[in-house]
Amino acid sequence: MSFSLRRRIRRTGKGVSIKIEEEERKLLGHLIPQLRDVLVGVGPTGDVDDGMRRLFPTAHPDDVENEAEFQGSHRDRLLAVRLDRLELVEATLSAELLTDAEHGAWITTVNDLRLVLGTRLDVGEEDDHDTVNPDDAASAAAATYHYLGHLLSELIEVVQHDEPDDPRFAPGLD
Amino acid sequence: MNSSPPPPSPMPAQAPTRESRTTTLVDEDVPWIVLVWNDPINLMGYVVMVLQKLFGYSNTKATELMMDVHEKGRAVVANGTQADAERDVARLHEYGLWATMQKDN
Repeated sequence: MSFSLRRRIRRTGKGVSIKIEEEERKLLGHLIPQLRDVLVGVGPTGDVDDGMRRLFPTAHPDDVENEAEFQGSHRDRLLAVRLDRLELVEATLSAELLTDAEHGAWITTVNDLRLVLGTRLDVGEEDDHDTVNPDDAASAAAATYHYLGHLLSELIEVVQHDEPDDPRFAPGLD
Repeated sequence: MNSSPPPPSPMPAQAPTRESRTTTLVDEDVPWIVLVWNDPINLMGYVVMVLQKLFGYSNTKATELMMDVHEKGRAVVANGTQADAERDVARLHEYGLWATMQKDN
């Protein structure tokens, strides 16, 4: 990736300009259907997907009744929201300009991908960018996970930079 | 998991979209608290963004709460009736945060 002083993802008068590489768009294009599969429960039978559990967490950890009610009220909607956002990203994979809604969908969908991948990789707090062996599937997954973190930071910076004169919104929290 | 709940945070500044709370002594309206739990996946900047967006917190306050989550394992980010708390938890789940709710004893 070439070093540039100008951010690759930034707000312009016409919307959020997103100048990422073709390979990145292709990668996202591969990952999104996999996320959709996780969400709609396609996959190895008999396995309770940890990624799925992470995407639909418990609200009432010590109250079975209230928890059942909560999931009954909210789970379907949460699934629908995630699928809608996924669709929006899929439809704008080649876009160079995003609306606010599309930009928001990119943020949460990239984060959803990180949640699933990170759960499967069982990442810890101090996980670092380990050496990547291109023949090692686990390393490739780890590299993808770290890349998605970088992309998410770039997507979020747009929000942080929306108040350029506000010193509270200085970048670099991560 | 820590068995005793932390003392609730001071009432957050009212965000424009939240209705004001009514206080009653009816048992059904025992205040509930909303907790966000630390996880190794969510970026700190992302958590701050979500707290600002959902609750109208200043960047300073949202950063404080995020640091509490990060350093203490969890933080109270909101409180209210059971219905309020469930709505907040649902919205936090939409953003992939690990949020739960419990009665504020």
